[in-house]
Amino acid sequence: MYFQKKRCIAMLLAGGQGSRLKVLTEKTAKPAVPFGGKYRIIDFPLSNCVNSGIDTVGILTQYQPLELNEYIGNGQPWGLNKTHSCAQVLPPYERHDKKSGWYKGTANAIYQNIDFIERYNPEYVVILSGDHIYKMDYAAMVAYHEKNHASCTIAVRTVPLKEASRFGILNTNPDNSIYEFEEKPKQPKSTNASMGIYVFNWDVLRKALIADEEDETSSNDFGKNIIPKLLSEGHKMMAYNFDGYWKDVGTIDSLWEANMDLLGKEPAFNLQGNEQDKIYARNNALPSSYIDANAKTVNCFIAEGSEIYGTVRHSIISIGCTVGEGALVEDSVVMPGVVIEPGAIVRNAILGEDSHVGRNAVVGGSFDATEKRKISVTSKGAVLETNTVLLPGDML
Amino acid sequence: MNVMGIIFASDVSLGNLTDKRTTASLPFGGRYRQVDFSLSNMTAAGIHHIGIISRRNYQSLVNHISSAEEWGLELGEGGLEFLTPFAMSVSDSYRGKLESLYTAMDFLEHGPDDEYVIMADSSILYNIDLTQVLASHIASGKDITVVTKDDIANGSKQLDLALKLNDKGEISDMAVDYMAPAGYLASMDLFVLSKKWLKEKVREFIARNLFHMDRNLVLGLWQKGEITINVYQFDGAALYNESVEEYFINSLSLITPQVRKSLFEGNHPVFTKVRDRVPSYYGENCEIHNTLAADGCKLEGSVESSILFRQVTICENAKVSNCVIMNEAVIGEGAELKCAILDKDVVVSPGAKLCGTLQNPIIVRRGERV
Repeated sequence: MYFQKKRCIAMLLAGGQGSRLKVLTEKTAKPAVPFGGKYRIIDFPLSNCVNSGIDTVGILTQYQPLELNEYIGNGQPWGLNKTHSCAQVLPPYERHDKKSGWYKGTANAIYQNIDFIERYNPEYVVILSGDHIYKMDYAAMVAYHEKNHASCTIAVRTVPLKEASRFGILNTNPDNSIYEFEEKPKQPKSTNASMGIYVFNWDVLRKALIADEEDETSSNDFGKNIIPKLLSEGHKMMAYNFDGYWKDVGTIDSLWEANMDLLGKEPAFNLQGNEQDKIYARNNALPSSYIDANAKTVNCFIAEGSEIYGTVRHSIISIGCTVGEGALVEDSVVMPGVVIEPGAIVRNAILGEDSHVGRNAVVGGSFDATEKRKISVTSKGAVLETNTVLLPGDML
Repeated sequence: MNVMGIIFASDVSLGNLTDKRTTASLPFGGRYRQVDFSLSNMTAAGIHHIGIISRRNYQSLVNHISSAEEWGLELGEGGLEFLTPFAMSVSDSYRGKLESLYTAMDFLEHGPDDEYVIMADSSILYNIDLTQVLASHIASGKDITVVTKDDIANGSKQLDLALKLNDKGEISDMAVDYMAPAGYLASMDLFVLSKKWLKEKVREFIARNLFHMDRNLVLGLWQKGEITINVYQFDGAALYNESVEEYFINSLSLITPQVRKSLFEGNHPVFTKVRDRVPSYYGENCEIHNTLAADGCKLEGSVESSILFRQVTICENAKVSNCVIMNEAVIGEGAELKCAILDKDVVVSPGAKLCGTLQNPIIVRRGERV
């Protein structure tokens, strides 16, 4: 079979469990978690690839892959189903030499798919993760990498100094070349946090992956092993500054916040954007949304196929939801297919896909500015019975 | 399924709304073009060999259908084919459906070996299970199945083809282009027949200079007792968009749950071209009531009993009621609109006022500034 040579391909790490999203990822891999009314988290890196002219994407899956595989399908929604483009799902598999099995770490996942990458004989490989919400032109980052003749370029963003010890921190020279990488340092020397987005020269990465696999003490992780190793070997590594919106949605709180960032007249994250940075999603063939005569809709997103009879304030209502008469939804993320029956009250909550809030039931509560907000969560398909209560911060 | 579909794309004229497009590509219901309903009916029934016959102005239709992948179809032989005048043996428009079928004879002759043909229009919209219609046709053993609706005839609407049944369910009267009184069944311009029989009849009628499907083939043969007809009565909603007024009233009727559910949640979903717009944003002070809104809208003003298409912007203090507003229109601050149809890309300046009536809506043409 003939494979067109590609200058650059992307590998998207989508196998993590996302255990900090708790009940939301019980049955779904984190990249398949719904976001922003009609999207899933993976739509962001996938659309970024397409918008950056990268038309070959390997998607490494492991945890609960069914929904994710189904969602990606043949890659058609992102235009990745053409003769010389692909969105290839790459699950772990068994190999004759036993150097296979579950992906042991991020680097091992790529190692096990060296054959896939080799088919395209690329100059550069972009490594991405499936748990961040942002729009980024990877082509500009690759151009920067090429211009600097680097072996590896890592996207970085400035974080507040007090939070820096939660991230992988890159210490750089004045020319933005990296001299040191510290994973979650107690006393950070800089505020350049790695975004987990890497551009590698494929020949360099290939050698490093093979060497890493032979090292039995390695945990086969990019941040912990590959990056420090390449630095110690004296490779030229560059930091690429990114100052656009970017959010790791790995926790319930951050997922809720990122959704809320879409709201307002001047939203913190403007989803709309231009034709060049559009986010694509699999389409659901749903009709327009219906807003009833008695409905009240204030500062909210309402996606297709929803029916609103009650009140919605400062919330995201996803595709195919119903908010019943006299119901109130406030400061909440309502995922696709949720039914909220008449008279129910939902505040500061994330309602998982297809979950059901019974008549006059109450989910969550309200918080003033001095209190810590506690988000209540329902899992996929959960049913909260009529007249029952799900307390603030509780999960169902 | 050994059935092919034929969709007629340009059957009626709706004034300015169809100046530059076919009736098939006329936007409807916030996110759709009229052809989406017939196409989705067919593909949901497993019909994947479909010809769309259009006379003129078909650029917007070709653009909408694009690669046909949204409907799960391929372009080309065995998939979806555009049967435009230039693709056929005559280069001008046709005098009737029979003539257009005659010029599409190549399409009927070649391609997969289908036994039946289902023909539909693009100005009558409904969500129907065609597998049932076909099963009824086959079980009846008749020459043709005419699908009808019982609540359209009202004495003032002219029907293309009207039928009356007697107590035994036999056809007792039939008329063409007739303002039938209530009690008549209106044809939905949806027919099932065998391909072989259709080809024979088309050749025969063209040879005799007869072009009209309803008048010559159905009524003419029935009067002579030379055709057996199976009447299939459809009980869902069927919207006849055959005049601007009907288009307007039918658009607004989507706000009624019964009509909306029948059309969109009937037998199957309705597919359309994907635009990847963001969800609609409802602002801090907006008042949106009794309204259908598509994706990508920015709503800051007040909207009552209206249909908003994709990416419509309603600025603060604008007041909209009983309007059909197509894609990407911008309604400026403080503007007031009542009973109007705004075609795509219309800009209404701040403070402007437009007032039509339900019987006589104001139409603003594509791209105009008011």
